[in-house]
Amino acid sequence: MTADGAVDLHKIGVKFFAEQGNAVELVEFIPIFHRWIQTDALDDLLIDVADYSHVHAGPGTLLVADAGHYGFDETGRRRGMVYYSKHVLTGTLPERLAAVCRKVLLACQLLEQAPELQGRLKFDGNEVQIFSNDRLCAPNNEETFRAFEPALKEFLTKLYAGSGYSLNRETNSKERFCVTAKTSEPVRLDTLLGRLAA
Amino acid sequence: MMSWKERLIDRMPAELAREIDIYETQMALKRQGKVEDKLFAETRLRRGVYGQRYDNGQRHDGSTQRTLSFPCGDLTKGTETVWDAPGMQRIKIPFGGLTPDQMDVLADVAEEYSDGISHVTTRQDIQLHYIRIDDTPDLMRRLAAVSITTREACGNSVRNVTACPLSGVCSDEAFDVTPYAKACSRFLLGHPDVQDFGRKFKPAFSGCKHRACGLTTMHDLGFIARIRVENGVERRGFEMYVGGGLGAVPYQAKLFDEFVPEEEILPLSQAISRIYARHGEKKNRNRARIKFLVDKLGIDRFREMVLEERRGLPHNEAWTDYLKELPAYGEKPLKPATKLNSGARSTAFETWRASNVYRQKQPGYAVATATLPLGDITSWQMRQLADIARRYVGENVRTTVEQNILLRWVSEADLPALHGELERIGLGEAGAGTIMDITACPGTDTCKLGIASSRGLAAELGERLAAKYQQLDEAVKGLHIKISGCFNSCGQQHLADLGFYGVSRNVGGMTVPHFRVVLGGQWEENAGSYGVAIGVVPSKRVPDFVDRITEKYLTEREKGERFREFIERVGKRELKALVDELATVPPYELDRSYYSDWRDPREFTLSDIAKGECAGEVVSRIDFDLQGAERQYFEAQLQFEAGNHQKAGETAYSAMLAAAKGLIRTQYQDITDDADTIVREFRARFYDTELFHDKYAGGKFAHYLFGRHEDKERTFDTDKTRRLLEETQLFIEAAHACNARMIGQNAAAPMIANQEPASVARV
Repeated sequence: MTADGAVDLHKIGVKFFAEQGNAVELVEFIPIFHRWIQTDALDDLLIDVADYSHVHAGPGTLLVADAGHYGFDETGRRRGMVYYSKHVLTGTLPERLAAVCRKVLLACQLLEQAPELQGRLKFDGNEVQIFSNDRLCAPNNEETFRAFEPALKEFLTKLYAGSGYSLNRETNSKERFCVTAKTSEPVRLDTLLGRLAA
Repeated sequence: MMSWKERLIDRMPAELAREIDIYETQMALKRQGKVEDKLFAETRLRRGVYGQRYDNGQRHDGSTQRTLSFPCGDLTKGTETVWDAPGMQRIKIPFGGLTPDQMDVLADVAEEYSDGISHVTTRQDIQLHYIRIDDTPDLMRRLAAVSITTREACGNSVRNVTACPLSGVCSDEAFDVTPYAKACSRFLLGHPDVQDFGRKFKPAFSGCKHRACGLTTMHDLGFIARIRVENGVERRGFEMYVGGGLGAVPYQAKLFDEFVPEEEILPLSQAISRIYARHGEKKNRNRARIKFLVDKLGIDRFREMVLEERRGLPHNEAWTDYLKELPAYGEKPLKPATKLNSGARSTAFETWRASNVYRQKQPGYAVATATLPLGDITSWQMRQLADIARRYVGENVRTTVEQNILLRWVSEADLPALHGELERIGLGEAGAGTIMDITACPGTDTCKLGIASSRGLAAELGERLAAKYQQLDEAVKGLHIKISGCFNSCGQQHLADLGFYGVSRNVGGMTVPHFRVVLGGQWEENAGSYGVAIGVVPSKRVPDFVDRITEKYLTEREKGERFREFIERVGKRELKALVDELATVPPYELDRSYYSDWRDPREFTLSDIAKGECAGEVVSRIDFDLQGAERQYFEAQLQFEAGNHQKAGETAYSAMLAAAKGLIRTQYQDITDDADTIVREFRARFYDTELFHDKYAGGKFAHYLFGRHEDKERTFDTDKTRRLLEETQLFIEAAHACNARMIGQNAAAPMIANQEPASVARV
């Protein structure tokens, strides 16, 4: 945290959960991610694919990039697409949250359209998980939440266009600082992307 | 914002904290172009910071070779190794011993700097992948705060000291080798005599001779616990082996001594290290392991040299200090011993108990194995397992060379509840130590040397075997499968019943991944014998081969015949025929699947193989010493800039002493840190002999050291300190030049055993 009590967080993760993710085997993402590398499908330096389909509730299939990692992941026993940054990000904290969110939303869209999956995978736009991957800057406690809340609100207000949302926090202090926001109305991914671009 | 360094300053052992600061300074110097690639590569390797596949910035994407344009541009962290490219961090876990607090931190750093996976290696280490080098100092600090060091986890040094994970609880052991392994690890860590090896050096301890335990015969240095009765008194010692190793050509270690008393194991290890450093191969990396030296000299001559060296070693209290603590040593169970009651239990539990539970020699206690698929554990699982350990066994946790984690001292009555807890976190699978529990090195997933996908194959085989595990015959269940991605044998395929290592074959102008089959290795008897290489099968046919060879074993074995004996009896010709039945690769047009590897759809290529870092870089001790002097000089400059003139002056003087000491050490190995001694020896060996003299400046630069050393009343005003800094720089430059001249003229006196100080020698 900075001297004025704000969170200067750069290692940010965002995850959108899969609606029908269980219909797809984790190893099915391996050729898709390799194809993304071949075709420069994402605006990142994409490096390699790591297969963790053998571990329980783990990173699933990981797409290793320079600035952060993408993955179709099973952490918390919930499947979804995640991106977490590993480098310093620019902008204010709400802007950083939006930038990370945009990256994962674009990846979600690409996966939904992947010909290999033939429409078997859809993501829930109305639920988003945000986590800090930096225990020094943002340990999982009430103080972090209070410091993080204004930026979070600003970001979620933009993402969900003022719709109400419920917020859940990870309570185990050993786990990463993590909040999950959910609105009651279904939202399309392109709608979310449009709002972030506005 | 507070940094990890500030946050943890009071929790890190001072020595570890200082080492990490030094490493961070070396990184800064490298960024400024003040350290050459080779030296920095070996420096980071000795901190466990290892290269990873594609770190040369090149990757084949299945259709074309691509350049990975990392943001760092031309900055490198070793020859052909891009600074920003993700790398691997190896973390030493001596004898595999872990505490729950350490597990929590491992989980956190894996999550924050890696990909949320901790990988247990075949040497009881833990590895994290996809690490940015800029994150490594903080990663190391967080580990240091729970007393874990990464020092010498890679590079040409003493690697993790392994030990039988059942030490102390095993029914067959002579005695608990844990405190000896711990003492050996501590003694050799950073020891001056292990800094000048041509290659890595791996020690191992085993509590008994006949089980697999520590796999001592495949190690550079192996100890097997023995008790000898002398005059009616039991005496502890070790059967000691030297010169074993796997690699492309596996060697069985040679017996050095049937019984080395406990008080002699550390001095003998030191003497062996000196002989290896002095006489081991340095130029030809393929012949630089100690096994080649022992083979070349013969064990008898090697032994003679070691014992002669031993006789001349300056006494060191650390050789035996730890023995005083032995009577008090012992693990404390968290809970009282209670036998498992005879109530009804689930089939899943009984299946798990049959393979994953070992009854300790202490009645009422057991060891439970958490089976990690491919040695991988997620950060969430690691934290959960740490909490489970806290509830059931306290601090008694160990990693194994079979890439699992053991919980020791489980009260037997707790086993069903413990199994339930392990199932809850996805670590309750049965099959530890069976055919399903496959060992694999990282292979092409992350290793620069990998030829074929060892982990992909292991995952595929594991899934197939798990699906039919309950139906397998007990004789097949008990077999071991081990897989390496190349001939370097990190997956220990030579020790398995069924071993495989990655190779390639050209088929119709295309490269096809294959595995060479190695059959009949012996895991027991401390890796008693190595398997026989039979032939090669395409990667995609290996599962079929496993089915066929196990079927053949079941149908054709003689009564009580073990797999190794069966392989020996059937013979190579017949086995080769079995392999050859599967050797055919269909044309690309008919079946493309053969032309890519398991779980990697890219068309197979060897173009991603790069220069490995297993062999480290050959950097002599003097190079490290002079680099250390450079670093101190850099620190002195920073202190000067911060206005701390006294500190700057003292650090600069210390830098000159470090450079002088480095030169002295090329002639006199046991030079101390005492400034008077260093200056006296330097004067006698380098000034009086004019070895240090510059062609034009003569002995001028040496006088900078002498002048500073003799000036006891020095003041530290700005001008004087600045001048001292300039003199320090010139002195270090002169030391580099002197070293270069000595190398050129081969003028450095050859290192001989137990050289005396120059002053004594002259008399």
